[in-house]
Amino acid sequence: MKVTFPHLGTMHIFCKAIAETSGIPYIVPPETSRRTLTLGVQHSNECICLPFKMILGNFIEALQMGADTIVMVGSGPPCRLGLYDLVQKVILEDMGLRYRWLTIPPRLTWQAIWKNYEETKELKKELSWKNILLFPYGLRMGWKKMMACEALEKLAMKVRPREVQKGETQKRLKKALSGVDEARTLRTLNDALQKGRTLLQETGQDFSRVPLKIAIVGELYTVMDPHINRGVEQKLGELGAEVTRTSWFSTHILRSLRKNKADQNSERIRFFEASKAYLGYDVGAECNLSIGEAIVRSQEGYDGVVHLMPFACMPETTASGILTRVGKDWDIPILTLILDEQEIEGRIQTLLEAFIEMLQWKRKAA
Amino acid sequence: MEEKGRIGIPRALMFYRYFPLWKVFFEELGWRVIVSDGLGKRGKIIYFEDSCLPMKLLVTHSIGLKDKVDHLFVPRLVSLHRDYIMCPKFRGAPDIVRLATEGTVSILDETVDLRTREHSMLRSFLKTGKRLGADEKEGKRAFQKAEQFFLNFQKGWEDRINQLPLKQVFHLETPALPKSEEKPFQVAFIGHPYNLFDTDVNKDILSFARSLGMRIITPDGLSEKEIGAQVSDLSKEIYWSSGREIVGSLFHFLSGRVDGVVFLTSFKCGIDALLQEFIRRRLKLKGGTSIPLLVLSLDEHSGREGLTTRLEAFRDVMEESTH
Repeated sequence: MKVTFPHLGTMHIFCKAIAETSGIPYIVPPETSRRTLTLGVQHSNECICLPFKMILGNFIEALQMGADTIVMVGSGPPCRLGLYDLVQKVILEDMGLRYRWLTIPPRLTWQAIWKNYEETKELKKELSWKNILLFPYGLRMGWKKMMACEALEKLAMKVRPREVQKGETQKRLKKALSGVDEARTLRTLNDALQKGRTLLQETGQDFSRVPLKIAIVGELYTVMDPHINRGVEQKLGELGAEVTRTSWFSTHILRSLRKNKADQNSERIRFFEASKAYLGYDVGAECNLSIGEAIVRSQEGYDGVVHLMPFACMPETTASGILTRVGKDWDIPILTLILDEQEIEGRIQTLLEAFIEMLQWKRKAA
Repeated sequence: MEEKGRIGIPRALMFYRYFPLWKVFFEELGWRVIVSDGLGKRGKIIYFEDSCLPMKLLVTHSIGLKDKVDHLFVPRLVSLHRDYIMCPKFRGAPDIVRLATEGTVSILDETVDLRTREHSMLRSFLKTGKRLGADEKEGKRAFQKAEQFFLNFQKGWEDRINQLPLKQVFHLETPALPKSEEKPFQVAFIGHPYNLFDTDVNKDILSFARSLGMRIITPDGLSEKEIGAQVSDLSKEIYWSSGREIVGSLFHFLSGRVDGVVFLTSFKCGIDALLQEFIRRRLKLKGGTSIPLLVLSLDEHSGREGLTTRLEAFRDVMEESTH
């Protein structure tokens, strides 16, 4: 048995940690590249959303490398993400690739548990007692690594707009993340995190700058994965903007476990409440939160909002229609970037540069 | 009965299934129902948001109606099935219309969610009635009458779309003619009702199909059981009611006694895009089908000529395979 999982931001680091710690053989798909995307595009059609194509590409590459068991996070209605597995299974089968599939249910319902039982029945035979005993420890390791990655990324977002040498933060962040990736035990992980922190903080910074404040909102895959959004977060940072986002793995995992109501959730609840002025119902996925966050950020004095969505994404299309009005009503510039497989990195760079310049003028005028 | 005022119903989306129900309900309560005109040949679409064509048409029709009516009826259709839901865009539709009309008209946007008791069709209509000043008894009576009319209307549906000019299908006063001559081809047309019956979306392709000698069969006549039989063995349940109906009826017809199947989809329809891929692959894995299948993707740029050419070719294929 060789387990594999899709790429999504830094997910490979902690998925790997879970598998490694509990002694389950795994294959990390090659880093998402042009080839990955081409494979995904070839085997789907033009109106299917970009995350679908990226994930499909990851799976194809991993299966070709010898993986045989796919682990995928499930989701529920109303967005298309919940039916990715139904369609991807048929596509892989049609391509003649052999695989087994394990869905991690988004919510613990009886149906999900039953399904999970069915899916794992065969797999369990291949796992040793050692694997199963070590699994909780693996989960703990994975969780810690995830939190470490997020802490480092958040720090990098703060450092980037003040860096003296352009691109240095990104290099240091990469190094820090690979340090986390290489840690084997909880103690070394802690050291790696500390080292990574100092590494980032030691970046040459110009503290006299007052960076623009920009919030990234939108569909969670496009917000979290730099391959899908062509590094919008990094680009904005290097153009001199301090970026915030509220989509992190921990937010979404805690949300589906319905835990941590006081902290992360309350922010989401605040956004949701704010969106009610424009939307009378929960449209699903991140739609309401995109709108609510834009409103709240404007109240908090942010300079601008960047809204990311894949082409033809159902909930976010509604959001983008409403956001044009939100921008006018709350006097906050909103840039919507619609992403698909086209080679648009250069265009995004130009758009972001223009957006930043506009924000700077606006700030001077005020 | 004196007229209380006017209610505007945009000719878009689920209008193409529920219009008879809506119309009779409001008329029973003493309101006059005004329906937007079709786009026509030179009609302009208003691009308020970057959605699929049927959604853009909802905005266009609503804006066309807003000055002529007292209330605009754009219900929030979350679910029209006991277990399954509608496309997420329907949930935000009244809000989009409200922004596009800039709050100049009152919008009746009660939620319909058949998964819950609280938002059942009856409850939702009672609430709408209440907003129009009708008490519960009046509302109930009007709804029962509307429902009865709607059920009768649906029974004659297939005759209507095969006999009447398509522009008149929703003229409720015009009775459908009895079945006339036998057509050489029985063709199933599958898709969302607003793709199938909105002549602005499909460029009146059904009329052309009829003139080519096709008798049109729609999934409306299929029972829940027949659809369920085709989709119950999937590895995951399709949770959109329309998507489920499309996949179920498509496989039902492809294994049945029709001469051909045509699947009409809108460009940028998320559900159709995903399921189209699924249908194509699954058919291939099952070893194909002997019944011809045509998938037509529609948007505001599709020309009638392109569609008619493909439909003519499709007829030729059907002719070949029946001989």
